[in-house]
Amino acid sequence: MSVFTDPALGLIDGPFQPRLAEQSRAKAWYGWAGYIAPAVLDSVEFEYFALRNQASLFDISPMHKYRIAGPDALAAINRLITRDATKIEVGRVAYCVWCDEEGMVIDDGTLFRLDDTDWRLCCQEPMLTWLLDATWGFDATVTDESDTVAGLALQGPTAFSILDAAGLDVADLKPFDLREVEPGLMISRTGFTGDLGYEIWMDRDAALPVWDRLWEAGALWGLRAIGYEALNIARIEAGYLAAGVDFQPIHATERLHRGKTPFELGLGWLVNFDKGHFNGRRALLAARDAPRTLLLKVDVEGFKPATGALVYHAKRREVGHITSGLWSPTAKRNIALAHVKASHARQRPGNLWAEVYTSQEGQWSTRMARLIPLKTPFFAPPRARATPPGRI
Amino acid sequence: MTRFDAIVIGGGINGLTAAAVLARRGKSVCVLDQAETLGGMAAPGPDGAPRGAHLLYNLSPAVRRDIGLGNRDWPFRSAPLPSVALSPDGRHVVLRGGEATNGDSSAHPDADAYRALHGRLAKYGALLRQLAENAPPGFDGKLASRSALRQMMRLGWFGLGLKRLGRDEMRNFLRVLLSNAYDTILDEMPDGPMAGLLAADAVRGAAAGPRAPGTVFSLIYRMGHGGEVTLPMGGMSALCSAFADAARNAGCQIETGVTVTRVLIEAGAACGVETADGRQITAPLVLTSTGAEVTCHLAGPQHFDIEATRRMRNVRARGTAAKVNLRLSSLPAVIGLSRDLMAARLIAAPSATYVERAFNPSKYREMSPNPVIEAVIPSVTDPGLTSGDSHYLSAIVQYAPCDLEGGWTETAKRALAKATIDTLATYMPDLPGQITASEVLTPVDIEAQTGAPGGHWHHAEMSLDQLLTLRPANGLGRYALGPAGLYLCGASAHPGGDIMGLAGRNAALAALASEGRK
Amino acid sequence: MTENTKYDAIIAGAGHNGLTTAAYLARAGLRVLVVEKNDWIGGAAVSRSLHEGWTYSNCSYVCSLLRREIVRDLDLPKFGLQVIPYEGGASFTKSGDYFAYYSDHDALRREMARHSPRDADAYARYSQAIMRQCRFIRPFLLRDAPDPTSLRPRDLNELAYLVKKAHGLGSRELGETLRFWTMSIGDLLDEHFENDLIKAHLAGSGIIGTGLGVYSPGTAYVLLHHYMGDLDGGIGAWGFARGGMGAITAAMGAAFEHFGGTIRTGSGVEEFIVENGRVIGVALENGDTFHAPVVASNMDVKRTFLKHVPRAKLPGDFATAVERFKIRGSSAKLNIALDRMPDMPAAPPHASFLRGDMHVSESLMELERAYDDWKDGRWSAKPYIDMLIPSQIDPTMAPSGSHMMTVFVQYAPYDLEVNGTRSGANWDDAQRAAMAEVVIDRIAIACPDIRERIVHKEVRSPADIEREVGLTEGNIFQGELTFDQLLFNRPVPGFSQYESPIKGLYLVGSSAHPGGGVMGAPGANAARAILRRETRDNRMKGYAA
Repeated sequence: MSVFTDPALGLIDGPFQPRLAEQSRAKAWYGWAGYIAPAVLDSVEFEYFALRNQASLFDISPMHKYRIAGPDALAAINRLITRDATKIEVGRVAYCVWCDEEGMVIDDGTLFRLDDTDWRLCCQEPMLTWLLDATWGFDATVTDESDTVAGLALQGPTAFSILDAAGLDVADLKPFDLREVEPGLMISRTGFTGDLGYEIWMDRDAALPVWDRLWEAGALWGLRAIGYEALNIARIEAGYLAAGVDFQPIHATERLHRGKTPFELGLGWLVNFDKGHFNGRRALLAARDAPRTLLLKVDVEGFKPATGALVYHAKRREVGHITSGLWSPTAKRNIALAHVKASHARQRPGNLWAEVYTSQEGQWSTRMARLIPLKTPFFAPPRARATPPGRI
Repeated sequence: MTRFDAIVIGGGINGLTAAAVLARRGKSVCVLDQAETLGGMAAPGPDGAPRGAHLLYNLSPAVRRDIGLGNRDWPFRSAPLPSVALSPDGRHVVLRGGEATNGDSSAHPDADAYRALHGRLAKYGALLRQLAENAPPGFDGKLASRSALRQMMRLGWFGLGLKRLGRDEMRNFLRVLLSNAYDTILDEMPDGPMAGLLAADAVRGAAAGPRAPGTVFSLIYRMGHGGEVTLPMGGMSALCSAFADAARNAGCQIETGVTVTRVLIEAGAACGVETADGRQITAPLVLTSTGAEVTCHLAGPQHFDIEATRRMRNVRARGTAAKVNLRLSSLPAVIGLSRDLMAARLIAAPSATYVERAFNPSKYREMSPNPVIEAVIPSVTDPGLTSGDSHYLSAIVQYAPCDLEGGWTETAKRALAKATIDTLATYMPDLPGQITASEVLTPVDIEAQTGAPGGHWHHAEMSLDQLLTLRPANGLGRYALGPAGLYLCGASAHPGGDIMGLAGRNAALAALASEGRK
Repeated sequence: MTENTKYDAIIAGAGHNGLTTAAYLARAGLRVLVVEKNDWIGGAAVSRSLHEGWTYSNCSYVCSLLRREIVRDLDLPKFGLQVIPYEGGASFTKSGDYFAYYSDHDALRREMARHSPRDADAYARYSQAIMRQCRFIRPFLLRDAPDPTSLRPRDLNELAYLVKKAHGLGSRELGETLRFWTMSIGDLLDEHFENDLIKAHLAGSGIIGTGLGVYSPGTAYVLLHHYMGDLDGGIGAWGFARGGMGAITAAMGAAFEHFGGTIRTGSGVEEFIVENGRVIGVALENGDTFHAPVVASNMDVKRTFLKHVPRAKLPGDFATAVERFKIRGSSAKLNIALDRMPDMPAAPPHASFLRGDMHVSESLMELERAYDDWKDGRWSAKPYIDMLIPSQIDPTMAPSGSHMMTVFVQYAPYDLEVNGTRSGANWDDAQRAAMAEVVIDRIAIACPDIRERIVHKEVRSPADIEREVGLTEGNIFQGELTFDQLLFNRPVPGFSQYESPIKGLYLVGSSAHPGGGVMGAPGANAARAILRRETRDNRMKGYAA
């Protein structure tokens, strides 16, 4: 029998892999868009607290990045996304969603306006053919930058101080601002943690020197490299959605009725019906007032995380399920995101229960935990928005 | 006046029909055609020779009624023509309705088989006609809505018609409908000129050979109105005038030589057009008889859903039929065929296998060395069309793909003319010497002159995946193109082309119905 | 008449469907006899040792479609069935490159991107679309096809199920489904992809076993038919039966005998004995006669009714309809014993895709031209080949270090044209050898040293497959999978639920709904129909019920 080897198989290294490998003690890797990525580098707990108390460095290079450019880029983008793209100024970033013709969310992401006619879309799902479809008939080109542009998320209360120490001036950068601070080095005040933070973008070839520069500057500010698990805690605290977890991107869905409209995801504020046509507009007009389910932020009674739990009305009638749930170390709450039938989410939110399975030394048991819907994010500190930002 | 209730882009048979139907319902309508002559693919050239269609068999009485031409006859006379399946050995087959005889009027051995097949296809055709006279069924509404109920009623009628066929015929219908012409024909008769003629009829204008599943549908489609082939007296211009007059009499304003450069959309709704001469004409309804993709470009893709634009550009409209017109100094003779049968529709397709072989090169963007030809010499039936002894021969030649490798250069056109003349000369040896002038219109020319996508006979391939609710594409099957008030009324809409007028009529009715709901 | 010539049911033909029916009937308590013309069982799912030390899956060669409900009901693993998934595949080009198909998602994306970054992205949407269609169809495989002309409660019920499922798709998806069922694989691929080689690689499943070209409408459905399978839940995955495809039928046979059934090999049915419109038994070629009130034929519909039932016993229009049912031979087979693994210089050493299905077609147009040859009665000058070397994974197929290669060839006509006449009788040794040379030239594109590696080869023309297995024209599906021959039209409108005009005579092979492939669905569905119609209170039990 032959030796089973194949050069094309397996995960491949991202631009920061040499540094991440040095940092990895847990040796806990996972695959992200074909790249090897850290689930945990050292320990989830300490990585998380570094993020919330000092600063954290997370490699976001595996995100899909597309450049959309040309005289008609704005028109094409405005038809693509549900927001009004004309209101996104040069040097600004916008969170946005885009839908299929039936109004179901294809993906969410951040849209960077680099120049009048030059945009970058950053998202979780591969989107090249969709963007090519979306720009057909327009004077605009689409370039896949996923493998050529590297990205780092520098997040946490000391993030600004680290950039400052590294000689990168971002003092006047407001949330969702974007600037090329040095040739080839672009910084946006964006992130997936709900905290003060920046994302740093560069050519793949220039990646390692940037890492080293930040690393050196971060030495006195408690900078740690982190893996996905720590980040995931922070994003749930911030109430951000993860594609494939909190909603099923419609293009990756076999059962199409599992798709969700922006309204069902609590993202109705991203839909602008007054800007002219956009993809799914006709369907969304009809769906606006008739959501099937609503995504709720809930406080779960007790201390056990409720991920995957079914949601009941009056402990009897099944009306939904929990997508993400955990004990929030910062908010000191047991928090979760849940899809709940719209009728119950709206009219009877006071009698919702989660059926939580718990294991104690291998013994499984179940109990009903009351859910208290919340209107605001679990965690939204003022420091995340202050400009100029605080230093600690 | 630059304000109308409706604008119709394209003054072909479907465009004129749509305009007349709208105008007769009290709408002020403006028809704009880029050509100087009305009629689109039915319009004759300056010399009177047909530049697209040259025969009629599917004109719809429902259209005649709805455009105000009464219930009895068209305002022009049309002469029924027999069909002759030419055979290289001189043993031609003459078909009149369901009757088949040899060229010398003697009994044909497969006459019974032909009669049975013809009868069955005509029966099925009448059934399909019910579907053709209505918008295709949609599945959008709730099951209990009024429109859904209306649809159920209609499908109920269709089902009833199906039931009336009897159980065996019904089963046969449901099988044959989806089948291929080649097998369906050869199940009934040996391969030869008669089978060749039927196979050729099944794929006329199509980018398909008779072996392609679904081609029986096209054969049945031809039989929607009985299948009788007629020649309009006074030429195709008589036909086009009748439709243009119907539109004018209904109060339509018709402008020729006007090219629409933009379709104007505001707040998600059509609101008019802009023309090449810089005018803006406004109307809350815009009906377009060109293709969906062209319309999308005219309006701007930003007004359409992304999926819709993707589907529009995936509509298959690969024209494969060219038109060859020959001016003749005298009437040619076909060996073994009496002179009076020179008036007939002559089919050069000696076998179904021949038709399939002719199709093969077109797949690889080549023209058929031995093409399938439908030829007619209208001047035999209608001597007023030419002067003295002279005649013209009008031929539809397949396969001549629109995307010919190397393009339709003059050399390529000459090659096509030669292949056509050589093929005809096997039956009419004197023909080459009688030709005084020739004209070749490739699908590319036809597209340029008429706006028919790909120069395709039906603006979009009549294959099962582009029929009914899927015509021209999924989600665009009920005439509405996306923006409110914008409708497709050309042959690429249900039920398709063939100088029938139903696509235009149905589109107009759909537009009116949707306006009524507002 | 002695007691041991009487049974409750007799099955003619020990193919995988016949054995499936037989096993379900025996499991339900019936006394069942299976008769088989060959000295071995298996039909087209056989493992044969035709060269010392090598085992050939000499007809069907890979496994995916076999319904897991049947495997579980009949407990086939207990009787030795083991199916091992293989990992990928590749299409080699004359220029020395290849496109590799990896089951690993990321590797596949990178490999596709090497040929076309756009196609790499498009593939995700394409495969999702295919999966949606498979999801829609699969529940229908183990159900009866409703007769739309019937008002019987069962038919109305099945029709209502179909309408409900279709309505549940939503209008756009229903439109996509209708398109899938009617369009060509070529058009479907052109809509999604730009790269010729990728398209050619993906198109193969749309034509395997059919008399259609990649641009013939209906071939997208044929592709779905090949993707409907599931190995342990992995939709569309294919694998090898350990010990060759005969392992499947061997397990079925063992299960059948375990349930008390009897198999008699070596003599096939000469005639289905019909009296007063009812079948009463079978007369075998060797003169033996067996009686049973129920007889099921695993043979295709043409062979069953046109060769083994006296014409006078059939209603005329039924006989005509059977004659018109299209069963066209379009594929041939080479089975090759190799002294060692052939060189594949284009591929990295030990590449995983060498253990999968390998091809050498480079474009849809090349495939379409291959079809044109077939239409005119010739084997393709550049045939599509689907070749595998299962001995890399299954150590039982060849002596250690040696290998067994199975090569499926599309297109090869049954009625070969020679000097102006077309006939299956034209396939003689010279023709077979000439075709084999063409195929080996094709293999050499991937394996230049193939000629030196060949120890023994078996060349099977469509006529050979007909002669040995009994499949009319050697058609692997017992009938074209065109839409006029599917669902309620299969095999004959009005007789789509395994019954025939002759009471008690059933059709259980792939001529019946839902069609061919080593799936077992027709056999299981037929068993259900037989038990429902012919026995009192003896309904089928199990997952396929």
